[in-house]
Amino acid sequence: MLRRTTLLSIALLVLITAVSQVFKTQLELINIALIHLLPVMIIALRGVMSATMIITTATVILFDLLYVPPQYSFDVHDLIYIWSFIIFYLVGYIITLQAKRIRINEIRQTLLRTLSHDLKTPLSSIIGNASLLIQSPSDAEAQREIALQIQMSAQRMDRLIATLLDGTRLQHAQNALKFEWCDFEDLIGVALQEFSSPDQQYRLRIHVDAHLKLFWGDAGLLLRLIVNLIDNALKYAPDQTPITLRVTAQAHHVVLTLCNAGEPIPQAELSSIFDRFYHLEHSADIHGSGIGLSICKEIAQAHHGSIRAYNDPQGICFEVLFPIKRHPLELEERP
Amino acid sequence: MNDLILIIEDDAAIAALLERSLKEHYKTLCAASLKEAKLLLQTHTPQLILLDLGLPDGDGKSLIPLLRRALQTPIIVVSARHEEREIVAALDLGADDYVTKPFSLVELMARVRRAQRRALMLSDDTPVLTCNDLTLDLERHRCILKEVPIKLTPTEFSLMRLFMAHQGQVLTHQQILKQVWGVGYQQGMQYLRSYINTLRKKIETDPARPRYIQTELGIGYRFCCHHEGV
Repeated sequence: MLRRTTLLSIALLVLITAVSQVFKTQLELINIALIHLLPVMIIALRGVMSATMIITTATVILFDLLYVPPQYSFDVHDLIYIWSFIIFYLVGYIITLQAKRIRINEIRQTLLRTLSHDLKTPLSSIIGNASLLIQSPSDAEAQREIALQIQMSAQRMDRLIATLLDGTRLQHAQNALKFEWCDFEDLIGVALQEFSSPDQQYRLRIHVDAHLKLFWGDAGLLLRLIVNLIDNALKYAPDQTPITLRVTAQAHHVVLTLCNAGEPIPQAELSSIFDRFYHLEHSADIHGSGIGLSICKEIAQAHHGSIRAYNDPQGICFEVLFPIKRHPLELEERP
Repeated sequence: MNDLILIIEDDAAIAALLERSLKEHYKTLCAASLKEAKLLLQTHTPQLILLDLGLPDGDGKSLIPLLRRALQTPIIVVSARHEEREIVAALDLGADDYVTKPFSLVELMARVRRAQRRALMLSDDTPVLTCNDLTLDLERHRCILKEVPIKLTPTEFSLMRLFMAHQGQVLTHQQILKQVWGVGYQQGMQYLRSYINTLRKKIETDPARPRYIQTELGIGYRFCCHHEGV
C-alpha cells in the first residue's frame, strides 16, 4: 500500500518530464518548476523522510539538468535557482512532517479501535455469562460451565492488558527498559505457567541449550515476547499438534525459535504479519489481538535484535535473534 | 478454626469478595483506610492481615513497620501487577507474602493457610529439612534427592538451606543475597541467577518447568513443596 505512493511519484515524475519536454517552448520555467513540485508533494504525503528526500533529489536533478540554464549540465548560472531547489526540499520536509503527524493520529485511532474490540469480546462474554448466572440455572454442572467461561474470558482480558502495558512502556521511552541479567530457561518456565491446561503443556516442547549464558535484557519484556509467541502458536496451529520452542547460543547471538504446525503463510505476507494492524485487515479472526506479534517485534528491536517468520516443511517458524552485547562474568565459587 | 482476619482494602467490591470467601473458615473485619485500620488494631488482635497497598489516605506499606514492631501477625500484601517495586519494598519491610490483582481465590486461600501455618511454627531448629523427595541434612552437610545424594557447592548448599527453611514463602532477591552472599543487589543478581540455574539442573526433573524453585518475576523466588497445592 505504501509502496504505491513511491511508484506513483516516480511515474508522475516521468510523465511530467515528458510533458515538460514536449511543451518546453510554450511553458515558462516558473510553470515547469511548479509542476515539478507535484511528485515531491505526493511522496511527502507518505510521511517517510528518506523517501521524500530521494524523490526530491531526483526531481531537483532532473529540473536542473533539463530546464535550468545551462541545460544538460549541473551548472547553475543564476544563483537564484539555488533558492528554488531549497524550496523543493523545504516543501517536501514540511509536508512529510505534517503527514507523519496525521499518520500517528490515525494509528492511535486504529489502535483504540482494535483495543476496544479486543477487550469488548471477552468483556461481553463475561457480562453475558454473569447475567446467565444471575438467572441461575439450578443445574450445578451448568453453573460451573458458565463460571469457567467467565474465568477464561477474564484471563484473556488480563493477558491483553499486560501486553498493552508492556507495549506502552516500550513506546514511551527506551530508557524505561529495565535491563538485568536474564536466564532464558527461567523466563520460559515463568511463561509456561500462563498456559496451565494439561493439553497446552503437552503440546509445548522446550529445548534450551545447556551452555546458554545469562543474557542482558529486560526480563518483563522478554517474558511478554515468549508468552505472545506461544499464545499465537496455540491460537493458529491445529489442535493437538506440537509446538517447539528452542533457545540456542551462538557466538554472537542468542537465537529463540518457535515452530508450530500452522498453515504456511504466503511469502509476501511473511514480514507484514509483524505490522501493527495486520490481523485487522487480513483475517476474519476475532479472538486474536492484532498487536501481539507487533509487540514481539518491538521487544526484539528494543534488544537490538530482529524477528522473522519463515515457512518450514512442518509448518511455520518464528525466529528471534538477540545480539549479545554484554557478557556475564565467569562465576567463581566462594566457599 | 475461628481466627480473625483483618482486611484492609478500600475497594468495596474486592473487600466484599474477600470477606465472602474467607467467611467460611475465619472471622473477618474490614477497614477501608489506614486510619480505620489503626483504630481497629487498637481494639482487636487479628491472626492475619490482608493489606492493600494503595489506600485513600496513604501508602499501605507504612503500616508494615508499625505492625512489625508490635506483633508477629502475618501480613499478606494485595497489590496490582506491574508494581513489583512496591511489592518488593513491602516484602523487605517484613510482609510475609503477596498476591497480585487479579488474583485467584484458590491461590489466596492457599497463601493465607500457609502464612498461618508458618506463624504457628516459627522457631524450628530441626537439623534435617525435608520437602517431598528432597532431604537436606544440615549437620552432615548432605543433600539427598530420591535417596540419591547430590553434590552441592557450599554456595548452593546455603541457598538450599535458605529455601528449605522457608518453604512456600516468597524470598526477595535482596533477602536471598543478604542471607547467602551478604552482598548488595548490584553485584549479586548475576550470581543469584546463575546459581539458581545450576541448582535447578541438579534438583529439578525438567529445569524449564521447575517444580521446586519457582520464579516470581521481578520479585524473587519461592521454594514450593507441591503437596501444598499452589
